[in-house]
Amino acid sequence: MSAFMNGGVSDEKTLEVKDPSKSPRSRRSDNKTVAFGDASAVRSVPAWSVFSFILLMLLWWSITKAWGYPEDFKATLDSGLRDRELFEQCQRADNCDTNSYTQIVSPLTFPSLRDTTTAAGTLFSDGFRNISLWTHTWASLWRVLKGMFWGTVIGVPVGLSMGLSSRARGFFDTIVEAFRPIPPLALLPLFTLSFGLGEKAAVPLLVFASVWIMIIASRAGIRNAQLSKVRAAYSLGASKRQLLLKVLIPNALPEMFTGLRVALGVSWGTLVAAELSGVQEGLGAMISIAKNFSRLDVIVVGIVIIAALGVLMDVLLRFLESVLIPWQGKG
Amino acid sequence: MKPLSVQNIEMVYEIPKGDSVHALSDVSFDLEAGRLLTLLGPSGCGKTTLLNILAGFLAPTSGSVMLGGEPVTGPSKERGMVFQQGALFEWQSVAKNISFGPRMGGQKHNDFLPEVERLLGVVGLTGFGDKQIYELSGGMQQRVALARCLANDPEMMLMDEPLGALDALTREKMQSLILNLWDETGKSIVLVTHSVEEALILGDMVFVMAPRPGRIEKVYELPFARRALTEDPRELKATTEFQEVKEEILSFIWEMEEEIMGREAG
Repeated sequence: MSAFMNGGVSDEKTLEVKDPSKSPRSRRSDNKTVAFGDASAVRSVPAWSVFSFILLMLLWWSITKAWGYPEDFKATLDSGLRDRELFEQCQRADNCDTNSYTQIVSPLTFPSLRDTTTAAGTLFSDGFRNISLWTHTWASLWRVLKGMFWGTVIGVPVGLSMGLSSRARGFFDTIVEAFRPIPPLALLPLFTLSFGLGEKAAVPLLVFASVWIMIIASRAGIRNAQLSKVRAAYSLGASKRQLLLKVLIPNALPEMFTGLRVALGVSWGTLVAAELSGVQEGLGAMISIAKNFSRLDVIVVGIVIIAALGVLMDVLLRFLESVLIPWQGKG
Repeated sequence: MKPLSVQNIEMVYEIPKGDSVHALSDVSFDLEAGRLLTLLGPSGCGKTTLLNILAGFLAPTSGSVMLGGEPVTGPSKERGMVFQQGALFEWQSVAKNISFGPRMGGQKHNDFLPEVERLLGVVGLTGFGDKQIYELSGGMQQRVALARCLANDPEMMLMDEPLGALDALTREKMQSLILNLWDETGKSIVLVTHSVEEALILGDMVFVMAPRPGRIEKVYELPFARRALTEDPRELKATTEFQEVKEEILSFIWEMEEEIMGREAG
């Protein structure tokens, strides 16, 4: 019914203003009188983001700063000792009055900003306990790459077959639905016993973490293909094989890329936790070893690197997406 | 060019609750090669179903479709299709979209480039070959869809509300383009539309269809499509002749709608 009813209307309505550059989201200045509640009027103001970053740093600095050092320690303040070592010296010294050594958060609970930046400096130049920071980082990245590679190589064909065939759909549905809800880390003990300690368990775990996501993403990519595109290809003379290679797979690329980004996030999170035991190299391992030596500063540096790399990889994938799939979201 | 012959098509859809919908009932017609047939009617009259059967996307419950004496059993490049939304391949340039059909047949894109240029000229998009699909407006995308369909040199072009998503001005221009293509190529065209005016100006032959069960209720052979090739289509639409036929069909469709609503209320 509706197609016919709407028909008359669409004659007058200009349906062609779907040009993305003219969409309200990207419009900068306008004469809107009401902005509150208008989602398109809300943008992230960079200055405020910088402000919040500075505020965080200030907060960190102020709660971990030592106010009112005892006289004896004022001399050693510029000796290059870390806040934490100073604090420990003070605790051991006879003339130290811990009451005059005021700090909102003790360096035994959370490292000071000064200690952390110093630790970052030495980590970058000398590494931690004879293993360079680069080795730790690369070990983690390499595991994620291996895990994602096999997760994609296994997941994409399975997902494609699930989108194309009812039998494959039925066959794999049980498997996917049974395994997908399992948090990968819950399998770490089992994988450690089955595959071996450390590296041997970590990579299969990452494959497990990414494969279901890649299956579901590629299945969705196939299922979301417009019927008219498929029909157009057939009536232009495409064979089934050509339809798959020239239409369905390119058409599914945006969804697969989204899958990659989600899988990368999950893998990264799983990896660092998996590295906390059993491996010698890797950012998780570094944090875990630092814990044994009560090196809070190294732990915090490790956390910051993990966060920064996570963001960096996502930015990189988004950039790749915009280069490889420029038609994304511009239908 | 091959004539089309449709014999006693019945189309019954089974729907989940054990009911069935009689989408098409005893549809028969013959269409000589080179005619421009428009299918018009309210929603649910089966016009798109009929087009999909002609394209080979659907098999009728019974009855047969023959093109040039050969039965239609599935989609084929001798029956090209144009959809409401271009159904273009966004990951390829305009030129590659147009060469899609020939490439599927084993031709190299570069060998087909001169023909792509010619087709771009035919649909009024000269110089747009290197553009990406998402850079084009809706009207331009439909021009690409037409060129892509023509690239295979089909016997017949099937169009499913090809101008339905365009604004009024673009729509008028595209109507003229379709008429010119029809005149220049001499291909048979079957076009589904829900706009009475469009059906009349484009239809060398018009079928007005009725729902429940879907059937061809009236057949018109009209002079407007041929006349629009030489006369101003807008003036043509304003003539009393045109208006009379339009009123007749409109009131006929209104009656059908009222009848359906009455039946549903009762």
